Amino acid sequence: MKKDTWQIGGRELTSRLFLGTGLFPNPYVQQEAIKASGAEVLTFAIRRVNLSAAEDDSILQHIEQGAFTFLPNTSGASTADEAVRIARLARASGLSDWIKVEISANERTLLPDPIETLRATEQLVKEGFTVLPYTTDDPILCKRLEEAGAAAVMPGGAPIGTGLGILNPYHIGLIVEEASVPIIVDAGLGSVADVAQAMELGVSGVLMNTPVAKARDPILMARAMRLGIEAGRLSYLSGRIAKKKYATASSGFDALKLS
Amino acid sequence: MKITVNGKQEQLEVQTVEDIVAHYALQEKPIVVEADGIVLKREQWATTLVREDSKIELVHFVGGG
Repeated sequence: MKKDTWQIGGRELTSRLFLGTGLFPNPYVQQEAIKASGAEVLTFAIRRVNLSAAEDDSILQHIEQGAFTFLPNTSGASTADEAVRIARLARASGLSDWIKVEISANERTLLPDPIETLRATEQLVKEGFTVLPYTTDDPILCKRLEEAGAAAVMPGGAPIGTGLGILNPYHIGLIVEEASVPIIVDAGLGSVADVAQAMELGVSGVLMNTPVAKARDPILMARAMRLGIEAGRLSYLSGRIAKKKYATASSGFDALKLS
Repeated sequence: MKITVNGKQEQLEVQTVEDIVAHYALQEKPIVVEADGIVLKREQWATTLVREDSKIELVHFVGGG
């Protein structure tokens, strides 16, 4: 089989897992989990430096420079303008011009604000960013984000950190069918079953953080997710059987009649 | 001079953004500075003057999904 790679913004990717860097119990476990996951893209948030801490520990000192594509997010933004501001700050780091647009207008659900997300995507595309908007799983909205110039579109499976899995597989399937850019299921996944389902629905990749970082054994779970994604991808490429109401014998009935 | 740094009012004897970064000993850290709403490149720190009531943001990458 030819190597099964894909592309975002001109970058060729082999791994289909984007891994978040929050919530890990410590830097060692995080590093080992990143290795075990095979992820090539890591996500981050942008926050104020804590000026009262004597040694404000930068997460980047634990990450091997040059080995990964960095995908900073705009979490904390509740409007397009705030997201654009955070994106500019992220790019000024010189570490990446990729940006995950993440705009939440509701603290309880953290669900993305679709209108502000589209506005921010339009603006950031104009400014030359490689834009990956995190959005609701609405097929029309996902198409509109693609038309606005998103390099990939990232519909949520369920609200962030819930582990509820893909609440609307019908929509995710439709989004994939309509898309001409990579679709990445971002947020809400909980288990290997969820990532395998996402891949079987035909998405190009998944983005997750909590299910790995908060697993009892994050390093082992990172490996499980990598394998689950690979299995789901192969299943998608292989073409599953149709579902039928009644049984079909695997060996036929004619070979040997005992009467 | 009275300056707001990361939302907190400070009294600092500084002239440039670089002086502020140095005050917090962050020169070697992978941080980004926004001065009065303008995101600065690192090479602009030394030439960007701060004034009374300037609003400075010092930010960096943290863990996130």
